[in-house]
Amino acid sequence: MSQINAYRRKFLAALGGVAAAGLASGVIVREVKAASPDVPTRPEDQPVSNKVRWGMLIDINRLTDGGASMVEACKREHGWGNDPKASPEQQAQWMRTVKVTDKLTKHSFTLPVMCQHCEEPPCVDVCPTGASMKRADGIVQVNKHICIGCRYCMMACPYKARSFVHENLTDQRVHSPRGIGTVESCNLCVHRVDKGQLPACVEAAPQAVIFGDLNDPTSRISQAMKALGGSQIRADLSLNTGVRYLGL
Amino acid sequence: MRGLQRIKFALLGLLAIGLVACDAGVPQPNLAPAKAKAAQCVEPTADIRKNHMAYLNVHRDKTVIEGIRSTKHSLNECINCHVAPTREDGSAVHYTDEKKDHFCASCHTYVGVKMDCFQCHADRPEVTKQVNYQHKLSSNTYHLSAQTGQPSAQDWLLLSTPQGARQ
Ligand code: SF4
Ligand code: SF4
Repeated sequence: MSQINAYRRKFLAALGGVAAAGLASGVIVREVKAASPDVPTRPEDQPVSNKVRWGMLIDINRLTDGGASMVEACKREHGWGNDPKASPEQQAQWMRTVKVTDKLTKHSFTLPVMCQHCEEPPCVDVCPTGASMKRADGIVQVNKHICIGCRYCMMACPYKARSFVHENLTDQRVHSPRGIGTVESCNLCVHRVDKGQLPACVEAAPQAVIFGDLNDPTSRISQAMKALGGSQIRADLSLNTGVRYLGL
Repeated sequence: MRGLQRIKFALLGLLAIGLVACDAGVPQPNLAPAKAKAAQCVEPTADIRKNHMAYLNVHRDKTVIEGIRSTKHSLNECINCHVAPTREDGSAVHYTDEKKDHFCASCHTYVGVKMDCFQCHADRPEVTKQVNYQHKLSSNTYHLSAQTGQPSAQDWLLLSTPQGARQ
């Protein structure tokens, strides 16, 4: 508890510092789209390396909307959720909010759930073509060039993180190709991370989410996890997820 | 005998007319949009005409698997250079259009190539102001990468917290 209080104090102190900076400068400059200090840039012609493992820490208590704005940011970034012919059950769902209620105490809370970027991903184990893949830096994604749409990975994922596209689409997002007959899921905004930017959902909830390199002990996320922990959903499965939660 | 000869000539004549007609029917890809942007393609013209698919295949694996995002052989850059998002009348240009006037479709249709790049990839450049371009989304909030609008207190938090948390 005292740790949490310390964390809150730092958080408030940071907030105060920012307010002061904002007043002093007088001019509001919007630099968020540029590289984030949490995501070191890599030359665009260099491959990703396993020295880095990307992860995300979500503090559920700080998510005032239970993660709804994160879901909206994801939809907007990748263009899913409004496929013209899909029924509501068929719509792709890269990220959703889940409400949990304790039967005994009736305490309930809502958290966002998406691909947890498992270190030992079952979706990769079952894929017959190698389309479901883990990048060297820990990002799990579907290589749609070789996905045959068998949907084994959808069955294998314990987090229901994957969706299937049932219909012909046009005018997809330029940076996020998606199309008929392939499976898709959260890819940690790989196109943004490769440019040194934060994932869209992290930008949408900066008060509650930290993104960064789990392998770097000095990164903001590693420090926060060291101080406060970070629980996995279904930790019993030993998948060592890259997405961690506070307040579960 | 003479009759046969005549028929032969007639047939030859018809064939010739047919060939000429075919020749006139070869669709010319519209190179004007690209030529307005660059004098030369990323590879020599003869090479890129013959081998563009090989370049794209290599680059797609590098991008998806290794995260290499160089633009030289990127499909997005082909589209950005060669395809205008709309026709002169303002209608959207798509690969699957009946008119076959999409840059890629104009050749592929003629040579009978079937490829499915555009089942997933956008087949024209992104145009922000064009409402029919992007999927409509059920949201009224913009995430922070939107260039316009006032930043909220949350923007400031994002900018400041690294130092705050590292102390
Ligand atoms: S959460 Fe599901 S889709 Fe994501 S890596 Fe784990 S098993 Fe694969
Ligand atoms: S649907 Fe695609 S990614 Fe999933 S298991 Fe089948 S081939 Fe692999």
